[in-house]
Amino acid sequence: MSNVIIQIKNYSWQYMNSSDLALRNINLEIEEGKFIGIIGPNGSGKTTLAYSLDALIPGQYNGIKQGEVFVYGKEVEKYAKGELQKSVGVVFSDPESQFTAMTVEDELVFGMENLGLSIPEIKERLEWVTDLVDLEPLMLKPPYEISGGQKQRVALAAVLAMMPKVMVLDEPTSMLDPISRKRVFEVLAQLKKEKRNTIIVIEHSLENLIPLADRMILLSNGELILEDETQQFFQNIPLLLEKSVYPPGVLLFFYRLFEAGYANSVLPLTLEAAENNLIKIINEKINGVNR
Amino acid sequence: MNKTMLGYIPNESPIYVIHPFVKLFFLLVVSLFPMFIAAPEWNLLLMISIFLLMWWSRVDMKILRIYVPVAISMGSIIFISYVIFSGNHPEYHLLFKFLAFKIYWERIRDAIVVYFRILPMIITMVFFLSTTRERDVIVAMRSIKAPFVVTYVFAMALRSAGMVLEDFQIVRQAEQARGFDTKGKSIPYKIRKYVMYMIPLFALSLRRSEEFTNALVARGYAFTGPASKVKRADYILTHYTFKKLDILLTIIIGALFVAILIIRYGFGYFGLNTSILTIWASKFIG
Repeated sequence: MSNVIIQIKNYSWQYMNSSDLALRNINLEIEEGKFIGIIGPNGSGKTTLAYSLDALIPGQYNGIKQGEVFVYGKEVEKYAKGELQKSVGVVFSDPESQFTAMTVEDELVFGMENLGLSIPEIKERLEWVTDLVDLEPLMLKPPYEISGGQKQRVALAAVLAMMPKVMVLDEPTSMLDPISRKRVFEVLAQLKKEKRNTIIVIEHSLENLIPLADRMILLSNGELILEDETQQFFQNIPLLLEKSVYPPGVLLFFYRLFEAGYANSVLPLTLEAAENNLIKIINEKINGVNR
Repeated sequence: MNKTMLGYIPNESPIYVIHPFVKLFFLLVVSLFPMFIAAPEWNLLLMISIFLLMWWSRVDMKILRIYVPVAISMGSIIFISYVIFSGNHPEYHLLFKFLAFKIYWERIRDAIVVYFRILPMIITMVFFLSTTRERDVIVAMRSIKAPFVVTYVFAMALRSAGMVLEDFQIVRQAEQARGFDTKGKSIPYKIRKYVMYMIPLFALSLRRSEEFTNALVARGYAFTGPASKVKRADYILTHYTFKKLDILLTIIIGALFVAILIIRYGFGYFGLNTSILTIWASKFIG
């Protein structure tokens, strides 16, 4: 039985002083415990959608809203100040814009104090999150004086520590090197597996996102172009390319093989699946030649 | 090394033994000492004592060099306003005339007194900023149960000051990269072109404040409504304990202040009449 926790109905948003709609007639349902990937070119409305789920839009921005955004069955605008944020946590794309405190430790603790947690609870979660995201050596440093990658880890940890049921991550690895990026996705995989959080990730790094995502969403020019299960979503390569989304090399490679008649229409999403497919194709060819 | 508001001090500095509240109390109370001490030699002694504390705290004494121009320009302004433009005072002892200006001994004495009152206050502040992190100030305020909103707004103000300086550097470097640089140009030119820095800096500040509000909202902070009434656990305070040494130091600082008041107003010391330096100088001048 599906358990829809986020429901977006005919939702449009236009920022004040903008002639275009940032989001146009979005209809979307997200089930509890799912890992959702949102992709799309710059300016397609991804961040606007993320902010709409946390009521930062329309709360903090002037503009025109149409339609409704429900989280746990309640319209986001109906939540009292600070109430929705107990359930929905957003990691901003620019981590520095998320910082509110003078040290990394204060930064991590701030959200937990807002939730009214007791000191033992804060201590326990702090130890968990610093260990998970490897922040121990940075605890007494000012968050705005550490490296870009460290800032993103702090921003992520600060939201993780609040343990929201829904986590929205807006390009959480844009400043990270490949190893740190992998580490962040490992953390997300762990959360998905152990905590069963609903995780919504806006990300350009598809190699890391695809293996985790249950469903994918494509936004372009404020419109929801495509929404499907990850495997099905990436069978639409021509559409993705048309919308300036470049799938991982392995997918494009198999798409070309498919076009040339060497592969079947089910494109492999991961390196392991691609390897198996390729071995299968080679074996078929060898067997074909031998016969 | 640990970063403070005005530089760095080593991890081994003994100042870390002292609770942030004591440091704030020291700043607030010791800054008042010169207001009740007119005799310059006592204020000089106070300055030397604070220098010794800075040395004990392992503050890099080189940072004091940046305050030399401040001390000189402040002294010059006081001297000019008190001594050169002192006006006509027939009751004072006229030393000599310089062009149309009359130079009186009493006005020189007053200039020295004022100067030696302000200097210890500045040095006390330098000592505080050199040995204190932003977090210490917040801890000090929270340990005396200052409302969270007050301490938080104060923390935000401290952070904003740092951010504006960082943004200024970004704007400056961005404009330098595109060929706009006031380096080596005349001061009027710099002032005229300063607007080139100020407009983007102002725009950046507006964006920063918007981001800051978003960050607060996204982390569940509210100034009003039920979320603002949540009982906050002050986790940071758990790292600090107010020890016997801190109690003792607080009592000593408070007792010194009371002693100064009693000696000044009860026994008449620390005034100009009992100042060895001014008495000796008056005799010397005749």
